[in-house]
Amino acid sequence: MILEIAGLETGYGKLRVLSGVSLSIGAESVGLFGPNGAGKTTLINTIMGMNRVWKGSVRFEGRDIGGLPTHEVARAGIALVPQERELFPLMSVADNLALGAAFIPHVVSRKEELLEQVLALFPILKERYRQLAGTMSGGQQRQVAIGRALMANPKLLILDEPSLGLQPSIVAEVFERLGQLKKTVSILVTEQNVRESLRAVDRGLVLENGAIVIEGTAAELARNPHVERSYLGI
Amino acid sequence: MNRNLARILAALAGAVMVTLPALAGAYPLQVARNIMLYMALAVTWDMLLRSGQISFGIAGLFGLGAYASILAVLRAGMPALLSIPFAALLSGVVALIIGFLILRLRAMYFSIVTLALAEIFRIVIQNLVDFTGGPEGVIMKGRIFGGSDSGIYWLTLCGLFVALGASYWFEKSKIHFALTAIRNNEVSARTSGVDIFRWLLLAFVVTSTIQGFLGGIYVQSYGFATPDSVFSADFTLLPLAMALLGGIHSTVGPILGAVLLGLASEYLKLQIPYGHLVVYGIIIIIVILFMPQGLLGLFRKATRGGKGRAS
Repeated sequence: MILEIAGLETGYGKLRVLSGVSLSIGAESVGLFGPNGAGKTTLINTIMGMNRVWKGSVRFEGRDIGGLPTHEVARAGIALVPQERELFPLMSVADNLALGAAFIPHVVSRKEELLEQVLALFPILKERYRQLAGTMSGGQQRQVAIGRALMANPKLLILDEPSLGLQPSIVAEVFERLGQLKKTVSILVTEQNVRESLRAVDRGLVLENGAIVIEGTAAELARNPHVERSYLGI
Repeated sequence: MNRNLARILAALAGAVMVTLPALAGAYPLQVARNIMLYMALAVTWDMLLRSGQISFGIAGLFGLGAYASILAVLRAGMPALLSIPFAALLSGVVALIIGFLILRLRAMYFSIVTLALAEIFRIVIQNLVDFTGGPEGVIMKGRIFGGSDSGIYWLTLCGLFVALGASYWFEKSKIHFALTAIRNNEVSARTSGVDIFRWLLLAFVVTSTIQGFLGGIYVQSYGFATPDSVFSADFTLLPLAMALLGGIHSTVGPILGAVLLGLASEYLKLQIPYGHLVVYGIIIIIVILFMPQGLLGLFRKATRGGKGRAS
Protein backbone atom coordinates (compact mmCIF):
# COMPACT_ATOMS: atom_id res chain seq x y z
CA MET A 1 0.00 0.00 0.00
CA ILE A 2 1.18 3.52 -0.76
CA LEU A 3 -0.90 5.36 1.81
CA GLU A 4 -2.18 3.84 5.04
CA ILE A 5 -4.24 5.81 7.52
CA ALA A 6 -5.22 4.17 10.79
CA GLY A 7 -7.54 5.49 13.48
CA LEU A 8 -7.02 9.11 12.45
CA GLU A 9 -8.52 11.76 14.69
CA THR A 10 -8.11 15.47 14.08
CA GLY A 11 -9.99 18.76 14.06
CA TYR A 12 -9.74 22.49 14.66
CA GLY A 13 -9.34 23.87 18.17
CA LYS A 14 -11.69 21.79 20.30
CA LEU A 15 -13.86 20.74 17.36
CA ARG A 16 -13.26 17.12 16.37
CA VAL A 17 -13.77 16.69 12.62
CA LEU A 18 -12.38 13.22 11.95
CA SER A 19 -12.99 10.47 14.47
CA GLY A 20 -11.09 7.28 13.77
CA VAL A 21 -10.70 7.33 9.99
CA SER A 22 -8.87 4.33 8.56
CA LEU A 23 -8.18 3.78 4.89
CA SER A 24 -5.51 2.51 2.55
CA ILE A 25 -4.64 3.28 -1.05
CA GLY A 26 -2.54 1.16 -3.36
CA ALA A 27 -1.80 1.41 -7.08
CA GLU A 28 -5.33 2.58 -7.89
CA SER A 29 -7.62 5.57 -8.01
CA VAL A 30 -9.89 6.14 -5.06
CA GLY A 31 -12.82 8.52 -4.78
CA LEU A 32 -13.64 10.08 -1.43
CA PHE A 33 -17.26 11.21 -1.26
CA GLY A 34 -19.38 12.88 1.33
CA PRO A 35 -21.56 15.89 2.04
CA ASN A 36 -20.19 19.37 2.79
CA GLY A 37 -18.64 19.43 6.24
CA ALA A 38 -18.04 15.66 6.33
CA GLY A 39 -14.30 16.21 6.72
CA LYS A 40 -12.95 15.47 3.23
CA THR A 41 -10.77 18.56 2.97
CA THR A 42 -9.70 18.15 6.60
CA LEU A 43 -8.54 14.62 5.81
CA ILE A 44 -6.55 15.87 2.82
CA ASN A 45 -5.05 18.73 4.80
CA THR A 46 -3.99 16.27 7.49
CA ILE A 47 -2.33 13.97 4.97
CA MET A 48 -0.49 17.02 3.57
CA GLY A 49 0.74 18.12 7.00
CA MET A 50 -1.41 21.24 7.15
CA ASN A 51 -3.44 19.86 10.04
CA ARG A 52 -2.05 18.23 13.18
CA VAL A 53 -2.75 14.54 13.79
CA TRP A 54 -4.50 14.22 17.17
CA LYS A 55 -4.53 10.46 17.27
CA GLY A 56 -3.77 7.58 14.89
CA SER A 57 -1.23 7.46 12.10
CA VAL A 58 -0.65 8.51 8.50
CA ARG A 59 1.92 6.35 6.74
CA PHE A 60 3.23 6.88 3.22
CA GLU A 61 5.25 4.03 1.71
CA GLY A 62 5.65 2.68 5.23
CA ARG A 63 7.00 5.96 6.62
CA ASP A 64 5.08 7.88 9.29
CA ILE A 65 4.41 11.32 7.77
CA GLY A 66 1.96 12.44 10.45
CA GLY A 67 4.22 15.13 11.91
CA LEU A 68 5.99 16.26 8.75
CA PRO A 69 5.66 19.84 7.48
CA THR A 70 3.81 20.21 4.17
CA HIS A 71 6.87 20.83 1.99
CA GLU A 72 8.43 17.58 3.22
CA VAL A 73 5.23 15.64 2.55
CA ALA A 74 5.36 17.05 -1.00
CA ARG A 75 9.01 16.02 -1.36
CA ALA A 76 8.16 12.54 -0.10
CA GLY A 77 5.97 12.07 -3.19
CA ILE A 78 2.45 13.34 -2.48
CA ALA A 79 1.15 16.12 -4.72
CA LEU A 80 -2.00 18.08 -4.02
CA VAL A 81 -4.28 19.92 -6.41
CA PRO A 82 -6.16 22.02 -3.88
CA GLN A 83 -9.75 23.20 -4.04
CA GLU A 84 -10.30 26.50 -5.89
CA ARG A 85 -7.33 25.79 -8.15
CA GLU A 86 -4.78 27.59 -5.94
CA LEU A 87 -2.49 28.56 -8.78
CA PHE A 88 0.22 31.17 -8.93
CA PRO A 89 -1.99 33.53 -10.94
CA LEU A 90 0.67 36.15 -11.65
CA MET A 91 3.09 33.57 -13.02
CA SER A 92 3.06 32.24 -16.57
CA VAL A 93 1.94 28.69 -17.32
CA ALA A 94 5.62 27.89 -17.93
CA ASP A 95 6.65 29.18 -14.51
CA ASN A 96 3.74 27.43 -12.78
CA LEU A 97 4.82 24.12 -14.30
CA ALA A 98 8.53 24.69 -13.66
CA LEU A 99 7.77 25.51 -10.04
CA GLY A 100 6.11 22.14 -9.62
CA ALA A 101 9.48 20.43 -10.08
CA ALA A 102 11.88 23.11 -8.82
CA PHE A 103 11.70 22.24 -5.13
CA ILE A 104 11.38 18.48 -5.31
CA PRO A 105 15.03 17.36 -5.17
CA HIS A 106 14.67 13.96 -6.82
CA VAL A 107 12.84 15.28 -9.90
CA VAL A 108 14.87 18.42 -10.68
CA SER A 109 17.11 16.50 -13.10
CA ARG A 110 14.05 15.05 -14.89
CA LYS A 111 12.08 18.25 -15.29
CA GLU A 112 12.37 18.42 -19.11
CA GLU A 113 11.06 14.89 -19.50
CA LEU A 114 8.23 15.54 -17.04
CA LEU A 115 7.34 18.77 -18.81
CA GLU A 116 6.99 16.90 -22.10
CA GLN A 117 4.68 14.37 -20.45
CA VAL A 118 2.51 17.10 -18.91
CA LEU A 119 2.26 19.07 -22.16
CA ALA A 120 1.34 15.88 -24.01
CA LEU A 121 -1.43 15.23 -21.48
CA PHE A 122 -2.69 18.84 -21.57
CA PRO A 123 -1.94 20.19 -25.09
CA ILE A 124 -3.71 23.49 -24.34
CA LEU A 125 -0.93 24.32 -21.88
CA LYS A 126 1.60 24.17 -24.71
CA GLU A 127 -0.46 26.68 -26.68
CA ARG A 128 -0.78 28.98 -23.67
CA TYR A 129 2.72 28.35 -22.35
CA ARG A 130 3.68 32.04 -21.92
CA GLN A 131 0.26 33.25 -20.78
CA LEU A 132 -0.26 34.37 -17.18
CA ALA A 133 -2.07 31.52 -15.44
CA GLY A 134 -4.55 33.86 -13.74
CA THR A 135 -5.86 35.05 -17.10
CA MET A 136 -6.91 31.57 -18.29
CA SER A 137 -10.39 30.04 -18.14
CA GLY A 138 -11.45 27.94 -15.14
CA GLY A 139 -10.94 24.62 -16.92
CA GLN A 140 -7.53 25.63 -18.22
CA GLN A 141 -6.48 26.80 -14.77
CA ARG A 142 -7.49 23.41 -13.41
CA GLN A 143 -5.26 21.79 -16.03
CA VAL A 144 -2.37 24.05 -14.99
CA ALA A 145 -2.92 23.06 -11.35
CA ILE A 146 -2.95 19.34 -12.20
CA GLY A 147 0.03 19.80 -14.52
CA ARG A 148 1.99 21.56 -11.81
CA ALA A 149 1.25 18.72 -9.39
CA LEU A 150 2.37 16.14 -11.97
CA MET A 151 5.66 17.99 -12.52
CA ALA A 152 6.61 16.74 -9.03
CA ASN A 153 6.36 13.19 -10.41
CA PRO A 154 4.25 12.15 -7.41
CA LYS A 155 3.51 8.62 -6.33
CA LEU A 156 0.18 9.78 -4.96
CA LEU A 157 -1.86 12.58 -6.54
CA ILE A 158 -4.58 14.10 -4.39
CA LEU A 159 -7.27 16.23 -6.00
CA ASP A 160 -9.66 18.17 -3.82
CA GLU A 161 -12.95 18.78 -5.64
CA PRO A 162 -11.42 19.07 -9.13
CA SER A 163 -14.79 19.78 -10.77
CA LEU A 164 -15.69 22.64 -8.43
CA GLY A 165 -16.84 25.68 -10.38
CA LEU A 166 -16.37 24.07 -13.80
CA GLN A 167 -19.00 23.72 -16.52
CA PRO A 168 -20.18 20.12 -17.21
CA SER A 169 -18.29 19.69 -20.51
CA ILE A 170 -15.02 20.68 -18.80
CA VAL A 171 -15.79 18.38 -15.85
CA ALA A 172 -16.04 15.43 -18.25
CA GLU A 173 -12.69 16.40 -19.75
CA VAL A 174 -11.04 16.62 -16.33
CA PHE A 175 -12.31 13.15 -15.40
CA GLU A 176 -11.17 11.78 -18.75
CA ARG A 177 -7.66 13.02 -17.94
CA LEU A 178 -7.88 11.45 -14.47
CA GLY A 179 -8.79 8.18 -16.16
CA GLN A 180 -5.57 8.42 -18.19
CA LEU A 181 -3.50 9.40 -15.15
CA LYS A 182 -4.53 6.48 -12.97
CA LYS A 183 -2.41 4.17 -15.12
CA THR A 184 0.76 5.88 -13.91
CA VAL A 185 0.03 7.35 -10.47
CA SER A 186 -2.15 6.51 -7.48
CA ILE A 187 -5.00 8.97 -7.12
CA LEU A 188 -7.17 10.11 -4.24
CA VAL A 189 -9.94 12.42 -5.39
CA THR A 190 -12.66 14.08 -3.33
CA GLU A 191 -15.78 15.01 -5.20
CA GLN A 192 -19.33 16.25 -4.85
CA ASN A 193 -19.98 15.07 -8.40
CA VAL A 194 -20.22 11.38 -7.43
CA ARG A 195 -21.87 10.19 -10.65
CA GLU A 196 -19.08 11.50 -12.88
CA SER A 197 -16.23 10.48 -10.61
CA LEU A 198 -17.49 6.89 -10.11
CA ARG A 199 -16.82 6.42 -13.83
CA ALA A 200 -13.17 7.42 -13.38
CA VAL A 201 -12.17 5.75 -10.09
CA ASP A 202 -11.52 2.11 -9.19
CA ARG A 203 -12.80 2.32 -5.65
CA GLY A 204 -14.82 4.66 -3.48
CA LEU A 205 -15.13 5.69 0.17
CA VAL A 206 -17.99 7.59 1.74
CA LEU A 207 -17.11 9.91 4.60
CA GLU A 208 -19.93 11.11 6.82
CA ASN A 209 -19.68 12.88 10.17
CA GLY A 210 -15.95 12.33 10.34
CA ALA A 211 -15.95 8.57 9.72
CA ILE A 212 -15.81 6.23 6.72
CA VAL A 213 -19.29 4.70 6.51
CA ILE A 214 -19.18 2.90 3.14
CA GLU A 215 -16.28 1.41 1.22
CA GLY A 216 -16.24 -0.60 -2.01
CA THR A 217 -15.47 -0.73 -5.70
CA ALA A 218 -16.94 1.93 -7.96
CA ALA A 219 -19.55 -0.56 -9.19
CA GLU A 220 -20.49 -1.56 -5.64
CA LEU A 221 -20.90 2.06 -4.62
CA ALA A 222 -23.03 2.80 -7.69
CA ARG A 223 -25.42 0.05 -6.56
CA ASN A 224 -25.40 0.94 -2.87
CA PRO A 225 -28.88 2.17 -1.82
CA HIS A 226 -27.48 4.86 0.53
CA VAL A 227 -25.15 6.18 -2.17
CA GLU A 228 -27.96 6.06 -4.75
CA ARG A 229 -30.31 7.96 -2.45
CA SER A 230 -27.89 10.50 -0.99
CA TYR A 231 -25.39 11.14 -3.76
CA LEU A 232 -26.81 9.95 -7.08
CA GLY A 233 -30.31 11.34 -6.64
CA ILE A 234 -32.00 8.03 -7.53
CA MET B 1 11.92 46.25 -20.66
CA ASN B 2 13.46 45.68 -24.08
CA ARG B 3 16.72 43.86 -23.42
CA ASN B 4 18.82 45.89 -25.85
CA LEU B 5 17.49 49.15 -24.47
CA ALA B 6 18.17 47.94 -20.93
CA ARG B 7 21.75 47.00 -21.88
CA ILE B 8 22.37 50.40 -23.49
CA LEU B 9 20.97 52.22 -20.46
CA ALA B 10 23.01 50.05 -18.08
CA ALA B 11 26.19 50.71 -20.11
CA LEU B 12 25.50 54.45 -20.10
CA ALA B 13 24.80 54.45 -16.37
CA GLY B 14 27.98 52.44 -15.78
CA ALA B 15 30.03 54.87 -17.86
CA VAL B 16 28.61 57.86 -15.96
CA MET B 17 29.27 56.20 -12.60
CA VAL B 18 32.86 55.28 -13.45
CA THR B 19 33.82 58.66 -14.91
CA LEU B 20 31.98 60.82 -12.38
CA PRO B 21 34.81 61.08 -9.79
CA ALA B 22 37.17 62.38 -12.50
CA LEU B 23 34.71 64.92 -13.85
CA ALA B 24 32.57 66.15 -10.96
CA GLY B 25 33.30 68.23 -7.90
CA ALA B 26 32.60 67.48 -4.23
CA TYR B 27 28.90 68.43 -4.25
CA PRO B 28 27.79 66.36 -7.28
CA LEU B 29 29.78 63.44 -5.89
CA GLN B 30 27.96 63.71 -2.59
CA VAL B 31 24.60 63.83 -4.36
CA ALA B 32 25.62 60.75 -6.38
CA ARG B 33 26.68 58.96 -3.18
CA ASN B 34 23.36 59.72 -1.53
CA ILE B 35 21.45 58.47 -4.54
CA MET B 36 23.53 55.28 -4.69
CA LEU B 37 23.10 54.64 -0.98
CA TYR B 38 19.32 55.06 -1.08
CA MET B 39 19.18 53.09 -4.32
CA ALA B 40 20.96 50.18 -2.62
CA LEU B 41 18.57 50.38 0.36
CA ALA B 42 15.56 50.52 -2.00
CA VAL B 43 16.80 47.43 -3.84
CA THR B 44 17.26 45.49 -0.57
CA TRP B 45 13.80 46.51 0.64
CA ASP B 46 12.35 45.28 -2.63
CA MET B 47 14.25 41.97 -2.41
CA LEU B 48 12.35 41.05 0.74
CA LEU B 49 9.12 42.49 -0.65
CA ARG B 50 9.29 39.92 -3.45
CA SER B 51 8.22 37.38 -0.82
CA GLY B 52 5.23 39.55 0.13
CA GLN B 53 6.80 40.62 3.43
CA ILE B 54 6.79 44.40 3.91
CA SER B 55 9.57 45.55 6.21
CA PHE B 56 9.59 48.92 7.92
CA GLY B 57 12.83 48.07 9.66
CA ILE B 58 15.42 49.24 7.12
CA ALA B 59 16.57 52.13 9.32
CA GLY B 60 16.97 49.70 12.23
CA LEU B 61 19.40 47.37 10.46
CA PHE B 62 21.10 50.30 8.74
CA GLY B 63 21.61 52.11 12.06
CA LEU B 64 22.75 48.93 13.74
CA GLY B 65 25.39 48.46 11.04
CA ALA B 66 26.44 52.08 11.35
CA TYR B 67 26.97 51.79 15.11
CA ALA B 68 28.66 48.38 14.79
CA SER B 69 31.15 49.88 12.35
CA ILE B 70 31.95 53.07 14.22
CA LEU B 71 32.14 51.38 17.63
CA ALA B 72 34.38 48.64 16.23
CA VAL B 73 36.80 51.36 15.15
CA LEU B 74 36.54 53.49 18.28
CA ARG B 75 36.28 50.82 20.99
CA ALA B 76 38.17 47.88 19.47
CA GLY B 77 40.64 49.69 17.22
CA MET B 78 39.46 47.83 14.15
CA PRO B 79 40.60 49.27 10.79
CA ALA B 80 37.83 51.42 9.27
CA LEU B 81 37.62 49.36 6.08
CA LEU B 82 37.38 46.09 7.99
CA SER B 83 34.68 47.52 10.26
CA ILE B 84 32.27 47.67 7.30
CA PRO B 85 32.09 43.91 6.61
CA PHE B 86 32.05 43.46 10.39
CA ALA B 87 28.93 45.67 10.51
CA ALA B 88 27.38 43.55 7.77
CA LEU B 89 28.16 40.35 9.64
CA LEU B 90 26.72 41.65 12.91
CA SER B 91 23.52 42.84 11.21
CA GLY B 92 23.21 39.48 9.50
CA VAL B 93 23.60 37.55 12.76
CA VAL B 94 21.07 39.81 14.52
CA ALA B 95 18.66 39.32 11.58
CA LEU B 96 19.14 35.56 11.79
CA ILE B 97 18.19 35.53 15.48
CA ILE B 98 15.29 37.95 15.00
CA GLY B 99 14.18 36.11 11.88
CA PHE B 100 13.58 32.91 13.83
CA LEU B 101 11.23 34.87 16.08
CA ILE B 102 9.31 37.06 13.64
CA LEU B 103 9.19 35.31 10.27
CA ARG B 104 6.12 33.33 11.27
CA LEU B 105 4.28 36.64 11.16
CA ARG B 106 2.64 37.90 8.00
CA ALA B 107 1.30 41.10 6.50
CA MET B 108 0.87 44.04 8.87
CA TYR B 109 1.96 42.04 11.92
CA PHE B 110 5.41 41.51 10.37
CA SER B 111 5.58 45.15 9.24
CA ILE B 112 4.70 46.51 12.67
CA VAL B 113 7.21 44.26 14.41
CA THR B 114 10.02 45.37 12.08
CA LEU B 115 9.09 48.99 12.75
CA ALA B 116 9.13 48.32 16.50
CA LEU B 117 12.48 46.53 16.29
CA ALA B 118 14.07 49.52 14.55
CA GLU B 119 12.83 51.71 17.38
CA ILE B 120 14.10 49.23 19.99
CA PHE B 121 17.58 49.27 18.42
CA ARG B 122 17.57 53.07 18.53
CA ILE B 123 16.42 53.24 22.16
CA VAL B 124 18.92 50.61 23.32
CA ILE B 125 21.81 52.39 21.63
CA GLN B 126 20.66 55.75 22.91
CA ASN B 127 20.64 54.43 26.48
CA LEU B 128 23.99 52.64 26.48
CA VAL B 129 25.56 56.03 27.07
CA ASP B 130 29.03 54.85 28.18
CA PHE B 131 29.49 52.58 25.21
CA THR B 132 27.62 54.35 22.40
CA GLY B 133 27.82 57.99 23.46
CA GLY B 134 24.07 58.12 24.12
CA PRO B 135 21.92 60.72 22.36
CA GLU B 136 24.98 62.78 21.45
CA GLY B 137 26.53 59.87 19.58
CA VAL B 138 30.17 59.25 18.75
CA ILE B 139 32.67 60.94 16.46
CA MET B 140 35.73 59.45 14.79
CA LYS B 141 38.98 61.36 14.54
CA GLY B 142 38.80 61.29 10.78
CA ARG B 143 36.81 59.79 7.93
CA ILE B 144 37.71 56.72 5.93
CA PHE B 145 40.34 57.21 3.16
CA GLY B 146 41.31 60.48 4.87
CA GLY B 147 37.96 61.96 3.81
CA SER B 148 38.79 61.60 0.10
CA ASP B 149 35.59 62.31 -1.85
CA SER B 150 36.50 59.97 -4.66
CA GLY B 151 37.56 57.19 -2.23
CA ILE B 152 34.25 57.43 -0.41
CA TYR B 153 32.44 57.53 -3.76
CA TRP B 154 34.08 54.25 -4.85
CA LEU B 155 33.24 52.69 -1.49
CA THR B 156 29.57 53.66 -1.84
CA LEU B 157 29.56 52.37 -5.41
CA CYS B 158 30.91 49.09 -4.05
CA GLY B 159 27.97 48.99 -1.59
CA LEU B 160 25.56 49.58 -4.46
CA PHE B 161 27.12 46.80 -6.52
CA VAL B 162 26.80 44.39 -3.60
CA ALA B 163 23.06 45.21 -3.37
CA LEU B 164 22.56 44.99 -7.15
CA GLY B 165 24.53 41.75 -7.33
CA ALA B 166 22.44 40.20 -4.59
CA SER B 167 19.24 41.40 -6.26
CA TYR B 168 20.37 39.92 -9.57
CA TRP B 169 21.14 36.64 -7.79
CA PHE B 170 17.64 36.68 -6.28
CA GLU B 171 16.11 37.35 -9.71
CA LYS B 172 18.02 34.76 -11.69
CA SER B 173 18.13 31.84 -9.26
CA LYS B 174 15.65 29.48 -7.66
CA ILE B 175 15.13 32.15 -4.98
CA HIS B 176 12.99 34.09 -7.46
CA PHE B 177 10.67 31.11 -7.81
CA ALA B 178 10.51 30.54 -4.09
CA LEU B 179 9.79 34.14 -3.12
CA THR B 180 7.28 34.72 -5.92
CA ALA B 181 5.48 31.50 -5.03
CA ILE B 182 5.31 32.51 -1.36
CA ARG B 183 3.94 35.94 -2.30
CA ASN B 184 1.41 34.52 -4.76
CA ASN B 185 0.02 31.65 -2.75
CA GLU B 186 1.51 30.11 0.39
CA VAL B 187 -0.62 26.97 0.32
CA SER B 188 0.41 26.15 -3.23
CA ALA B 189 4.00 27.03 -2.45
CA ARG B 190 4.07 24.57 0.47
CA THR B 191 2.39 21.82 -1.49
CA SER B 192 4.97 22.37 -4.25
CA GLY B 193 7.76 21.58 -1.80
CA VAL B 194 8.78 25.16 -0.94
CA ASP B 195 10.13 25.43 2.61
CA ILE B 196 8.61 28.85 3.22
CA PHE B 197 10.38 29.64 6.47
CA ARG B 198 13.80 28.77 5.08
CA TRP B 199 13.45 31.04 2.02
CA LEU B 200 12.01 33.92 4.04
CA LEU B 201 14.87 33.59 6.51
CA LEU B 202 17.41 33.63 3.67
CA ALA B 203 15.85 36.75 2.14
CA PHE B 204 15.61 38.51 5.51
CA VAL B 205 19.20 37.72 6.51
CA VAL B 206 20.70 38.64 3.13
CA THR B 207 18.85 41.96 2.90
CA SER B 208 19.60 42.83 6.54
CA THR B 209 23.28 42.00 6.05
CA ILE B 210 23.48 44.38 3.09
CA GLN B 211 21.58 47.07 5.00
CA GLY B 212 24.13 46.75 7.82
CA PHE B 213 26.94 46.89 5.26
CA LEU B 214 25.49 50.12 3.85
CA GLY B 215 25.15 51.53 7.38
CA GLY B 216 28.86 50.84 7.87
CA ILE B 217 29.74 52.61 4.62
CA TYR B 218 27.54 55.57 5.55
CA VAL B 219 29.03 56.08 8.99
CA GLN B 220 32.58 55.72 7.73
CA SER B 221 31.81 58.30 5.05
CA TYR B 222 30.67 60.91 7.54
CA GLY B 223 32.79 59.95 10.54
CA PHE B 224 30.10 60.23 13.19
CA ALA B 225 26.90 58.58 14.35
CA THR B 226 24.01 59.73 16.52
CA PRO B 227 20.83 57.73 17.11
CA ASP B 228 18.81 60.43 15.36
CA SER B 229 21.03 60.49 12.29
CA VAL B 230 21.60 56.80 11.54
CA PHE B 231 18.19 55.55 12.71
CA SER B 232 16.43 58.38 10.85
CA ALA B 233 13.03 57.57 9.31
CA ASP B 234 14.56 58.80 6.03
CA PHE B 235 16.39 55.47 5.71
CA THR B 236 13.07 53.64 5.74
CA LEU B 237 10.74 56.07 3.97
CA LEU B 238 12.97 57.17 1.10
CA PRO B 239 13.94 53.69 -0.14
CA LEU B 240 10.31 52.62 0.18
CA ALA B 241 9.09 55.63 -1.84
CA MET B 242 11.82 55.06 -4.44
CA ALA B 243 10.95 51.40 -4.95
CA LEU B 244 7.23 52.16 -5.13
CA LEU B 245 7.75 54.98 -7.62
CA GLY B 246 10.06 52.99 -9.88
CA GLY B 247 8.20 49.70 -9.66
CA ILE B 248 8.34 46.90 -7.13
CA HIS B 249 9.38 43.25 -7.48
CA SER B 250 12.35 44.01 -9.73
CA THR B 251 15.87 45.42 -9.62
CA VAL B 252 15.28 48.03 -12.30
CA GLY B 253 12.27 49.65 -10.60
CA PRO B 254 14.06 50.76 -7.41
CA ILE B 255 17.01 51.98 -9.51
CA LEU B 256 14.68 54.12 -11.62
CA GLY B 257 12.84 55.42 -8.57
CA ALA B 258 16.07 56.22 -6.73
CA VAL B 259 17.47 58.28 -9.62
CA LEU B 260 14.25 60.28 -10.05
CA LEU B 261 13.45 60.76 -6.39
CA GLY B 262 17.10 61.23 -5.42
CA LEU B 263 17.51 64.12 -7.83
CA ALA B 264 14.12 65.54 -6.84
CA SER B 265 15.03 65.31 -3.16
CA GLU B 266 18.12 67.47 -3.62
CA TYR B 267 15.92 70.11 -5.16
CA LEU B 268 13.19 69.73 -2.54
CA LYS B 269 15.63 69.93 0.37
CA LEU B 270 16.68 73.34 -0.86
CA GLN B 271 13.11 74.51 -1.46
CA ILE B 272 11.40 73.07 1.66
CA PRO B 273 14.16 71.89 4.03
CA TYR B 274 11.80 70.72 6.79
CA GLY B 275 8.95 69.49 4.66
CA HIS B 276 10.44 67.35 1.92
CA LEU B 277 9.32 64.14 3.65
CA VAL B 278 5.75 65.31 3.19
CA VAL B 279 6.36 65.22 -0.56
CA TYR B 280 7.59 61.61 -0.27
CA GLY B 281 4.43 60.73 1.64
CA ILE B 282 2.32 62.28 -1.10
CA ILE B 283 4.28 60.36 -3.75
CA ILE B 284 3.66 57.06 -1.92
CA ILE B 285 -0.09 57.79 -1.74
CA ILE B 286 -0.30 58.77 -5.42
CA VAL B 287 1.67 55.72 -6.56
CA ILE B 288 -0.39 53.27 -4.47
CA LEU B 289 -3.65 54.79 -5.67
CA PHE B 290 -2.92 55.29 -9.35
CA MET B 291 0.03 53.16 -10.42
CA PRO B 292 0.64 50.28 -8.00
CA GLN B 293 3.22 48.77 -10.37
CA GLY B 294 5.15 52.07 -10.51
CA LEU B 295 6.77 53.66 -13.54
CA LEU B 296 8.18 50.34 -14.69
CA GLY B 297 4.68 48.87 -14.66
CA LEU B 298 3.41 51.74 -16.81
CA PHE B 299 6.32 51.24 -19.18
CA ARG B 300 5.66 47.50 -19.45
CA LYS B 301 1.98 48.10 -20.02
CA ALA B 302 2.74 50.58 -22.77
CA THR B 303 5.26 48.34 -24.54
CA ARG B 304 3.61 44.94 -24.09
CA GLY B 305 -0.06 45.77 -23.87
CA GLY B 306 -0.21 44.65 -20.26
CA LYS B 307 1.40 41.25 -20.67
CA GLY B 308 4.10 41.72 -18.09
CA ARG B 309 6.72 39.32 -16.91
CA ALA B 310 5.75 36.91 -14.18
CA SER B 311 5.74 38.91 -10.99
